[in-house]
Amino acid sequence: MTALLRMLGRYRRAIVLASALLLSFLLMTLQVRHDTAVVTFTRQALLLVVSPFIKITAATIHGVTSTWQDYVDLRTLREENKRLQLEVSTLKRRLDQLQEQALETQRLQRLLAMRDSSQAEFLTARVVGKDATNWFKTILLDRGSMEGVRRNQPALAPNGLVGRVVEVTPASARVQLLTDPVSAVGGLIQRTRVTGIVSGNLGAGARVRYLPLMADVAVGDEVVTSGMGGLFPKGIPIGRIATVERKSGALFQEATLTPGVDLSRLEEVLILKGLEVREGFESGTGRRQ
Amino acid sequence: MSWFLPGLLLCVIAQAVLLGPLSLMEIRPDLFLLLVILVSRRSSPEAATILGFLIGLCQDALSGAPLGLHAFTDSLMGFVVARLSRHLYTDKPFALLWFLLGGSAAASGIRLALLTFFLGPPPLLPALLWVIIPEALYTAAVGLLILSLPQIRAALTRTV
Repeated sequence: MTALLRMLGRYRRAIVLASALLLSFLLMTLQVRHDTAVVTFTRQALLLVVSPFIKITAATIHGVTSTWQDYVDLRTLREENKRLQLEVSTLKRRLDQLQEQALETQRLQRLLAMRDSSQAEFLTARVVGKDATNWFKTILLDRGSMEGVRRNQPALAPNGLVGRVVEVTPASARVQLLTDPVSAVGGLIQRTRVTGIVSGNLGAGARVRYLPLMADVAVGDEVVTSGMGGLFPKGIPIGRIATVERKSGALFQEATLTPGVDLSRLEEVLILKGLEVREGFESGTGRRQ
Repeated sequence: MSWFLPGLLLCVIAQAVLLGPLSLMEIRPDLFLLLVILVSRRSSPEAATILGFLIGLCQDALSGAPLGLHAFTDSLMGFVVARLSRHLYTDKPFALLWFLLGGSAAASGIRLALLTFFLGPPPLLPALLWVIIPEALYTAAVGLLILSLPQIRAALTRTV
């Protein structure tokens, strides 16, 4: 027993390192292969703890920034025109607010128009955070299961598809963007009705894979959701073909796609509720299922 | 180590919210890795491994990554940095820059290998061009600034 303890003490560094690496490897294996309750619980618990801080920070950043800007402006004012400068500053702030409100109204009107044109039920959510790594493309929303958000519900913007909900906590949800490297969405070239799979890319934009070799695909073609796979309704705009690649000897042709939505500047999204969703090829690799 | 939890919380908020406007080509510096390096420089290898594991786990929960991906690399980085910190002259800016560049690139390389193992091979060239190299450069630049702050402050004090 003493010898064992002495050995543990002697090799404690190696034991700690090996345990940490083994545990990490085990967690990844569990999630990717089986997605057990332990992994889901750990993810949701950690997200539940930090998401309020993220939401509060996102909500106060705008206020703090404008207050700080006001403070800096006021410090540099000359005494003799202080009152005038203050008035100008107030008017500018008001104008900024009105412009911001006008832009927000414009965005919300477009969302509303989109919602009214569809029979489905929508929920508006604000984007409060981005993915903490550069390897994956996900966003954090300020709505969760308490407002009816469920996993696999599609997220949309006025110009088209954003992605799908992959993780839900009571007050927040994570959306996997269509440019995430492990995302896969059934796509349809609108002009020629050719189907392919729109998947994420590590660079900018996305790729359309598995397009038949002889299919008519051209730069500028509009791509919409095909409805196959069961996650996304048919006909939601995804983006436009940017380049077409036909490699010699390949079984399929591929194309790069520019998403219709500027996914780096999202502020609000619509969550499509009330759809009966089921697992399919659109769900990506199977992780977090 | 009383600043560990506030530092981790600051990292979480900065990485998820504050760094958005500062991203270059959609790439942000890996603040979690910098926190691992900061923590590990002053800890024993055992403590650095455990703290690296916790930091990585937190980063995984805040991203679309499989849980354990960053925990694996960060615990390994914590261990290596804690072991090497006594043998490296990391107060020299140029050496520090290379150390950070190498550390970030090595961590990304291990992540790429793990992603290949679990999710299938991602395209190597885009991974290098769009993630690994820009992330290493950005992380090293920000890390150099953060780790040089004491020297900058000392130089300013001497000047004043």
